[in-house]
Parts: sequence; C-alpha cells; structure tokens
Amino acid sequence: MTGRFLRLGIAGLAAAAMLMSIPAAEAADMRAAKKEGKILWYSSLLLSTSQKVCKAFNDRKLGIQCILHRDGSGKLYRRYRTEARGKLFKADVIHTSNIGHFIIMNDKLKFIRPYKPKGVDRFVEDFKTKDNRWTIFRASVMVPLYNTKLVKAEDVPTSWLDFLKPKWKKKLVVADPNYGGFATATMIALSNMFGDDYYIKLRNNKPRTFDSAGATGVLVARGEVLMTTGTVAYGAFDLIKKGEPVKMVIPKEGVPFVASPASVLAKAPHPNAAEVFMDHLFSKDTQQLLADNGLYVGHPDVKYPKAQTPLSALKLLKVDPQEMKKRSKPIRKKFTKIFRGILTEGKKATKKRAKAARKGKN
Amino acid sequence: MAQQTDSFASPLAARFISARRKFDASTVVWGTIAAILLILIVKPVYHLAKQSFLLPEEDGGGWTLLNYFTAFTEPEHYYPIFSTLYISFSVGILSLILGAIIAWCISRTDVPFPNLLRNSVLMSFVTPPFLGAIAWIFLAGPRQGWINIIYRAITGAGPDDYLVDIFTVGGMVFAMTLYTFPLVFIVVLAGLNNVSSDIEDAANIAGGGTFSTMINVTLPLVMPALVAGLILGTLEAMILFGIPAVLGLPAGNHVMTTQLRAFMSSDEDMIGIAAAYSLPMLMTAFWLVYMRRHVLGRRGYATLGGKGGQRRPQRLGPWRYPVFILCSIPVLCAIVLPYFMLTTTSFLKTIGHGLSLSNLTFDNYIFIFNNDAVRISFYNTIMLALMAATAATLIAAVTSYITQRNLVRGHKYMSFLATAPIGIPGIVLAVGLFSAYTQEPFLLYGTIWIMFIAYVTKYLPLAFQTSNASLMSIHPELEECSRILGASRLQVFKDVTIPLFKAGLLASWILVFMPSLRELSASILLYTSETKVVSVMIITFYEEALLGAISAIGVILLAITSIAVLIGYKVVGRDFMRSE
Repeated sequence: MTGRFLRLGIAGLAAAAMLMSIPAAEAADMRAAKKEGKILWYSSLLLSTSQKVCKAFNDRKLGIQCILHRDGSGKLYRRYRTEARGKLFKADVIHTSNIGHFIIMNDKLKFIRPYKPKGVDRFVEDFKTKDNRWTIFRASVMVPLYNTKLVKAEDVPTSWLDFLKPKWKKKLVVADPNYGGFATATMIALSNMFGDDYYIKLRNNKPRTFDSAGATGVLVARGEVLMTTGTVAYGAFDLIKKGEPVKMVIPKEGVPFVASPASVLAKAPHPNAAEVFMDHLFSKDTQQLLADNGLYVGHPDVKYPKAQTPLSALKLLKVDPQEMKKRSKPIRKKFTKIFRGILTEGKKATKKRAKAARKGKN
Repeated sequence: MAQQTDSFASPLAARFISARRKFDASTVVWGTIAAILLILIVKPVYHLAKQSFLLPEEDGGGWTLLNYFTAFTEPEHYYPIFSTLYISFSVGILSLILGAIIAWCISRTDVPFPNLLRNSVLMSFVTPPFLGAIAWIFLAGPRQGWINIIYRAITGAGPDDYLVDIFTVGGMVFAMTLYTFPLVFIVVLAGLNNVSSDIEDAANIAGGGTFSTMINVTLPLVMPALVAGLILGTLEAMILFGIPAVLGLPAGNHVMTTQLRAFMSSDEDMIGIAAAYSLPMLMTAFWLVYMRRHVLGRRGYATLGGKGGQRRPQRLGPWRYPVFILCSIPVLCAIVLPYFMLTTTSFLKTIGHGLSLSNLTFDNYIFIFNNDAVRISFYNTIMLALMAATAATLIAAVTSYITQRNLVRGHKYMSFLATAPIGIPGIVLAVGLFSAYTQEPFLLYGTIWIMFIAYVTKYLPLAFQTSNASLMSIHPELEECSRILGASRLQVFKDVTIPLFKAGLLASWILVFMPSLRELSASILLYTSETKVVSVMIITFYEEALLGAISAIGVILLAITSIAVLIGYKVVGRDFMRSE
C-alpha cells in the first residue's frame, strides 16, 4: 500500500517538476500554435463523426481552427503522396485505417514525426506504440449488415461463406479496398481464411461495389441492396440509432478488427497546432465522444454505451500490421481485376458451377 | 497631277510612319493577350506530351517509351478504351436522333409551345450531368428506383424483379444521352433555321411531296449541321466524367476518363502513364473538332442564323399534341423528374422509410450549412466562376477584336488558339496542368489558381465564339471614324467598341459563369482539401452515400443557375444561348 502511495507521490512530484520546468515551453507551444492559427486534418473517420471531433476542437476556442478533409484511407494516403510529388504539403495530422500505410510513410517515405500525445501513457497497451510514431485513435470491426424489411430472419447468413450462395445474386454490396482501410483488412483476412478465390466466387453473385465501407450500410438502409458483406460497425451503430431498418450480423468465423492510427506529419505546415490537435484527439472528451459513437478506444476512463458489444465478446480477425503493409497494394489490384471481370475463375470452373446450379434446380 | 497626289500623300505617309515610331500602348495589350493564350493552351499540352515520355522522378527520371507500353497493354487499361468507343458512339447517334427530331419539330412544324420546348431543352443543357445521374438512381435503381417500384406494384412481380437498371452500360448511355442531346439540338436547330422555305416551296411546286422534299431537299441542306451534331455529341460523351463515375463504377464499368482519374490518384507516380493514356484521347478530340469545322466550313456559316427567308411550318393537324408530348419526354427525363426527385429527397429524414409527413425534415439543409467543407466549396465555386467568367470574357473579347480587325500579323493563330480548347477534354487538360504546375518555379498545384487556369482555358472557346458572333455585327466604320478624329486604339476599344459590344460580352460572361458552377472533370484531379468546389463535394458525398445532403446541394445549385439564366434572358433578350 505504502509502496503504491510512494510511487504515486513520486509520479506526482515528477509531474509537478515537469509542469514547473515546462511552462515556458508549453506556453510557447500554445503561443506558436495560436500563431499558426489552423490545423488541417486528413481523416478517414466517417464524415459525421470526424466533423464532431473537429467541431469540439473549434468550440474550445483555442484560436486554432480545425479544417477537416475526410476521405477513404487509401485515397487519403494516395492523395498525400500525390501532393508530395507536386511538392505540396498541406496536411498536419493524418488518421487512416490502414496501419500498413503508416509503416511505409514512416520507414520508407519519412513522412511521420513522432509525437506523444498528453496522457497516452495510461492508454490500453494495444493502442500505443513505443516510439510514438503513431497512436491508435480508435478501433472498430467490420460487420455484415442487412435490411430488416427485406431479409427474413431465417435467411440471415451466419457465415462469411453464405454470401457465396446463389440466392444472394445481385442483392449484395461490397466495399472497395481501393478506397478504405477496413475493406483492405477484410479482404486480407477473408482471403487468408477462405483462400484467394473467395472474392472471385463472390463476384459471381454480381454484387455492387461501393467506395466507402461505411456508406455500404446506407445503401442497405435505403434498400438499394439487401445486405452489405461488411460495413464499419460504428457506422452501423449510428444507422440503428437513427432508426433505419438495419441489423448487424456477427458471422461465426469472427469479424475483422481494424485499429486506426493517427500521426503528426513531418512536413506539417502548422507543427505546433498539430501537436495541440493530437492532444485533443487523445483527450478524455474526444475519446468518450468516439465511444459514444460506437467506436472502441484506448483511453482507460471511457464509458461505453450499453448497446455496444464489448470487444472481449467478439471473435476478432486481426491482420498483422506488417501483412497490411505488404499486401495492401496487391490486394487492391486483385480486387480491381476481379471486379472489372478481368480475373475470373476460368472457363472450366464456370462450367462446373453452371452444371452444379442446374443440378441444384432439378 | 502626279505632283499633287504626291504632296497629298506624303504628309499622310509621314504621319503614318511617325505613328508607327511612336510607342503604341495597344501593342503591349495585344502582345500580352497572345502570351496569355500561349500559356493557357500551349503550355499544358506541351507538358502533357513531354510527361508521357518521362520516367517517374522517384525512379530517377529520364526518357522512356515504357509509359505507352504500360498504358495500352494491361487489360484494365485497354478495356475502358473499348467501352469509351462503344458508349460515345451510341450516345452520339442517340443524341443526334433526339436532337434532330426535336429541332425539326420546333423549326419546321406547328407544334404547340415551341418556345417552352426550346427553353426546357436548354435548361437540361445547364443541368450538371452527374447530378442528373444521381437523381436517376432514385428513379431507376433496380430495387428502390421509383420506376421499378411502380412496375412491381402494377405487374405484381416479385421483390427481386425490376424493369430497368441504371447501373448498366445501357443505363449509362441513357443518362449521357439525356444531357448530351441538347448540344446536338442547338447545332441542328441553327442549321434548320438557316434553310428558308423558298427552296422547299420550289421543290413542292416541282411536284415533290412533303416527305420527298424533306429527304431530297431539306436533309442535304442540313446535312452539315447533322454531321456536326453527331460529332459534337460523340465528343461530349467521350469526355464526360461524372456520369460514368456515378453509374459505371458500382458495376465495374470503367471508361477512359475514370481510368485517368485512377492513374492520377494512385500511390505510385503514374502521371507519365496518365499522360500517355490521354494523348490518343486528345488527338481523337482534336480530330473530331477538325472534322466538325471541315464539315461546317464547306457550306459557309451553316450554323449562323438570320440569313434565311420566310419559314413555313408543316401542319401537323391532329398530331400536334401527340408530337408535343413525344418531344417533351426527353425534357421530362432530363430535368423535371430528376429535380423532383432531388427536391423530395433533400427533405427526407431517414432514407429507409420513404416519403411520409413524419419523415420530412430540414436536417439535410442544416447539415450542409453547418458543414465547413460545403461552405468553403460554395465560396470557392462562386469565386472561381466569377473570376473565370470575367477573365475568359476579357481574353475572348480582345482576341476576337484582334482577329476580326486583323490587328496583328498571325491573328489567325490567335483565333485557332482561342478555339483549340474545345478539343481538350477537361480531365486531360487537368493532367497537363498538373505536370505543368508542379514544377519549379510554377508551383500552382494546390492553389485556387490552377483551377482558375483550368476553367478559363476550358471555357475560352465558348466566350470566344460568343464575342466573335456579336462583334461581327459591329461595323468597323464606327471605330475608323473615331480613329480619324484622333482617338487611340485603346480609347476606341474602350469608348466605342465596348459599349456596342456590351450585350455580347455579358452573354459570353454568363455562358462561362454557368458551366463553371458545375465543372467537374478538371476539378476532380486538381482539387485539394482547401480548394474543393461544389461538384467535387457532390462526388465525394456520393462516395459516402450522403444522398440527402447531395440532393440539398443540388437544389441550391439549381437555384443559383436559374438566377444566372434569368439574368441572361433579361439582359441579353431572347437571343441568349441561341448561338452555340
């Protein structure tokens, strides 16, 4: 007991000492940040949620304005690279769902500057990195979602393999990994589990493809399709809260889990404001806001809404960051080839399938 | 006698020489305009061509032919070329049929409300095609499209059955035709209005019936206009980006423009490949423009109205109203239904619960007014449209003045330059601008100015043709008179030409302003987070399926455009948008 107190005391003293020694630097920091006046945030968090985070920052009236550029993970990463080729460095803080891209940006491209946001020490272990290249801002899972008006309870799939059944022909929508990180992680996880031809077989059911995984849930709510093979769980949570006729499915094999990092960019035009903003992202208020919107976060003091399934109750399909790094691009190219009808299962397999289908009918 | 002439001539000659020696401020202006034209048009094309032979800087740079190889040997790169050819010819032919029939009805028959028809066709011309395409998803989406819902209700078909599917190549051709046929209509109408009925009467007197007169007399006379219309329709369909992006991609149907965007938004440096990929497109477009000029040129100014004598309408008799209804179907599909869908969707709370009183809301409007990005995009769009319209009108006015008054040597090249951008697809122009303005010392990428340059270049021909047409009606006598009275060139231009020229200038200003409000194909490659425009906002919202917000933006955009059109009619009069 005393030991703990002692340790706390020392920590407190250390903190006090730091506060005393830093004030000038801290104040200068804030002053410099204020002078910079704004911060441009590249974020792949769904627009409505990103906007709330930005608005909360602006409402603090720090004299720094948050400007949001929301797009899919893959598109943000490619945009940043394109802009860099055009010798244009606009973004200050980047946050996407493709951790593989962060590895490339850090190791190869030297785009990232380490920064340790305030209070991150106390975060859950999985959400922080040793060298503070990035910190996990939020996590979520990819879940199938169906329209309760259009799909009968007994028809609801229980396995990822159910989507390959012919009865789902022209009734599904698939998120494009060219656009987002969740779709990329999902394609890697499912290809690992069911083999490389899972998506080729899926394409036989002629699903629509859509850029944003989050948006596929909206198409389901609208009834344009009966079901999405995967949408971001926090987006689905939001749709359900709004009263849209949709319901999530947890397939028995588990659900792809995606943790999305945030980093300060090395060539940020507003470096000090970027740090202030990073502190905002990992503050308790923001982290609580994310949790309220159906996301999982690393802050230890956050309270989750009752309706949200705790992570521990889910079987998670995790993709290793190094694998994300290595396979993002080939997976993306493969998806393009498959869904433009260039890569197919071959004539033999098509004939075989047609035969099987005929047999099934008879 | 000879003596006298000499003494009379020499002071004039002396004055002439001294005037040439004296510094003429106008030469500076003409020189500047020529330089601007070169920068606007030649620079991006030059950089595009050069870029297509360059290896990526990341790989060390250097010259190569590899870009061409990569651009045309991978199936995902050359499939879109075939789709583009198929789609644009289909759209060209369908637009010709639609445009020609409606133009003939308005010009040659006693169909009721011809002005209403004409103006509605022109309204579909100012509707953003991508917005129309999104509205058509609400109408002809296989499941939730109203047409299919009604079809199922009437026939009792199952929930999986549908009548029409907009997410097909056919659907794409349909939507593109709706927004391309007005162009063909304008050209053919002008051609028809130019043929006087005297010739047809002569044919009738010589024993030809109504039908044989049409085939043997009217048709050959308007043939150039028809061919020009076909070319224009095909060209327009080839360079459209918005409709394929909205309707093609969900089903994996790519065309060249969407593939170009894919190259440009790659994480590898593919700009060389993009440049190589765009060159054939550029060349085809130029060739089509050349063919069009060639075809029209053979018969003089076939599209220039006002030469014909009396036109006598064919009597349709009992068919008047059926013909009117048939003619208004395309208009109904292009504007009435889409805007009705957009307006209703913009007031829906949840999109899953359809149209009911409890489901109505202003949320979508509140959302877009509270969204910083949307606000910025509206500001950017309006600023860009104002600036581009002003700049393009000024450059076009001075250029047409120079070329029509033969002021400098080489004025023909200036005229060529000012019309050349018709043959540069917006997205190709953007690739060229990207490679031109990401290099020191011209780092314009990421600023509003690169988009400004794109808009001015793209719409310069529109402004140039309009000011040319109106300048033609001002006789040089008036200017010569003022010159003799001692005014300088610039003074004359300012005090004599401009006041006479005002209406024409305003027409060209509005004709640039309106399409600038909805420019997409160049903006989509050039925008950055702080230079988003409304059209880009709509496409990015579409990628997130924010259909309510898109609809609300669409309604506001319609309001702004309508105001511009109304002002146009008010100031310019009925001739507004008559010339091509």
